[in-house]
Amino acid sequence: MSTAPTTVTLTIDGQTVTVPKGMTILEAAKTIGTKVPHYCYHPGLTSPAMCRLCLVEVEGAPKPQPSCVTTVADGQVVKTESDKALGNRRGVLEFYLVNHPLDCPICDMSGECDLQNYVHEEGREHGRGAEPKRVFGRDDFGGDVLFYGDRCVMCTRCVRFMSEVEKDERLTVVERGNRSVIDTFFEEGLEGTHWHGNIVDICPVGALVSKDFLHKARAWDLAHTPSVCASCSQGCNVDLHTRDNGVQRVKPRENLDVNGWWMCDHGRHDYEWMNRGDRIEAPLVRQADGSARAVAWKDALGALLARSRELEGRGVKAVVSPRASNEDLGALAELVGALGGGEIVYRSERAAEEIVLEGFPTLARRKDLAPNVKGAQLLGIHRVGSDDATGGLDAVRAHDGIVVVLGDALEDADERFGSSAALYVYIGTHAAEGAKSAHFVLPVTTHAEQEGTFTNHEGRVQRFWPALTPPGMARPAWLVLGALVAELSGEPVPRTAAEAFAALAEAVPAFGGLDYGTLGARGAVAQLPAAATRG
Amino acid sequence: MSHDVGKVPFKNPGWAGNTGEFDLTEAQVRGDDFVGERPKHGGHASGAGTLPYMLADKSPEAPLFEGEYKQRFDKILTRYPTKRAALLPALALAQEIRGHVSPESMDRVAELLELSPAYVRGVATFYTMYNKAPVGRYLVQVCTNISCNLCGADEVLATFLRYTDTEIGETSEDGNFMVVEAECLAACGFPTCVQINSRYYENVTPAEVQKIVEHLKAQGD
Repeated sequence: MSTAPTTVTLTIDGQTVTVPKGMTILEAAKTIGTKVPHYCYHPGLTSPAMCRLCLVEVEGAPKPQPSCVTTVADGQVVKTESDKALGNRRGVLEFYLVNHPLDCPICDMSGECDLQNYVHEEGREHGRGAEPKRVFGRDDFGGDVLFYGDRCVMCTRCVRFMSEVEKDERLTVVERGNRSVIDTFFEEGLEGTHWHGNIVDICPVGALVSKDFLHKARAWDLAHTPSVCASCSQGCNVDLHTRDNGVQRVKPRENLDVNGWWMCDHGRHDYEWMNRGDRIEAPLVRQADGSARAVAWKDALGALLARSRELEGRGVKAVVSPRASNEDLGALAELVGALGGGEIVYRSERAAEEIVLEGFPTLARRKDLAPNVKGAQLLGIHRVGSDDATGGLDAVRAHDGIVVVLGDALEDADERFGSSAALYVYIGTHAAEGAKSAHFVLPVTTHAEQEGTFTNHEGRVQRFWPALTPPGMARPAWLVLGALVAELSGEPVPRTAAEAFAALAEAVPAFGGLDYGTLGARGAVAQLPAAATRG
Repeated sequence: MSHDVGKVPFKNPGWAGNTGEFDLTEAQVRGDDFVGERPKHGGHASGAGTLPYMLADKSPEAPLFEGEYKQRFDKILTRYPTKRAALLPALALAQEIRGHVSPESMDRVAELLELSPAYVRGVATFYTMYNKAPVGRYLVQVCTNISCNLCGADEVLATFLRYTDTEIGETSEDGNFMVVEAECLAACGFPTCVQINSRYYENVTPAEVQKIVEHLKAQGD
């Protein structure tokens, strides 16, 4: 057996650091918070060491070394801020600006641009180039991508993403020298690829921009809220970028256990529904004359409790959407139990195929097109209906006891849905045709407006945070349902999502041992039933 | 038809290295396979891929890699460990057949070599010796790099443009000529060097240009 040490100790900017053998200087520097400027290096791609910006001084080496490919060695003395290293970056940055249009005021990347940042921090105050700049103009790459050739720094991250990660080599460097430019194969664009939005994310400058986001908002006006993509059961970690109480774009958030640095284009562009204005804004109570009246929460819940106590034992049939959080679904299950028990079902869309990201095969657009299918299953809720999330509700329609719908938009239902029920409660976000016969319509928040957790396809419980202010009187479903449960069972009302989750963890073995603290920003895997019996 | 140097009315229309100082024939220098009418199947496999030919008679619509050219393409593949490695000679062969590397040629080469068309485009556009657009029967590449420039290459270039009645990079009206500037042709000992299709014309002076142009018009390269 080899006894060779598996770590090396080196000095970076006077700081001693011990890192695993084989690590690059750039990554070693990152572990102590020293950021070496770079363009072509990306942790998810190979490093061609071609941007020449990450060159650092290594004592004993005759020339500055590219830190993105130079591996650490014992006793190495690295200087990232020496005159040599700084002078190198200053020189390289000046070359980067030779043909750069400096159109920051109209560039979408402005404010989060690595060229802007680096030049601002370490570049020259004024350029010395007197020659006219080379002009490429812009090129539509198809899909959601627009290419501004003049802004490009030729780091080739996009080319490498398409060949190494997406494994569909649609991009290349065309021509040579100062005429070289990123391009596709003539008229062939990026259409038909499912992950090309990522090249916009990894572009360090404003060369590749999203058409969807084009000139929509300035980077510094956007608030970033960590969230989880709700488009399928993969549960990609994302940031919701919001302004004016609306989601402006969705960006992937690094989580190597789930999505790496990537997310699919379907999820990326599936955010407009969070900004929809046709929301239920107040609790509505059906009056004797059939009209619906907006009332205060207290009155609505009071009337609902009175009515449900009259009907206790008549049986509950509930329909939920797997877009609701674990806390919401858990609270609903509690309520159904407190009302004497019944059946809970969910409906969700299923795609025919998974779309796997070949270079990162644990990431795929899953067949289940809802974020919390696993969470619903762990709560014993079973699936009904077809793959387009319709049908399967005949038993609910015919039920003459209590019918509760949480989140399901009931797109295939008409206004008579639930009219045979003695009590029909619709708990939802948006106005729905199928809610017209409901005795109570309770407005709740979307996942973008509340705190909560989703359980992804592999059972990983992941938190999301409120990014938007909910409209009107809409409240999280766990709070509304929790208040009802508290009245019926005498348990305390959960005051926070964390308390709602704690109640869930106590009630459902799969979530046992988890709390918001241990979940953190990256989530933790629930004890799936099979694992629980083994362990 | 073997090329007879003696019949050409000016000096040194030949291959690079023909200084006139040695009594070597072209066949002795290049080997028999590369002299005279070159076989379309490329001769020996070693030469099938390495020598880019530029023929006067080319047809932009010709089928790629069929018949003898298919043999040649297959020979090229035998010379390389991977299909990707055969990309440069495959593109050169496409250029020999059609005179330039068109998007369709790139697509076809990509298909045959199991590469992405975008990658093939990247490679084809990197190298200046692949013509990306149709050229005349004779592609006249006048070296204007330092040695030739010092020996009057600019004037040679201007004279070629005058006698062919074209602008740089334009095909003449009769379809015979396209004159372009070339960077160093590696014949700095024999300035001004002019490459016309596959052949080098060395020590060219402006006074010889008319003769060369007329010779080309009359009897090929």
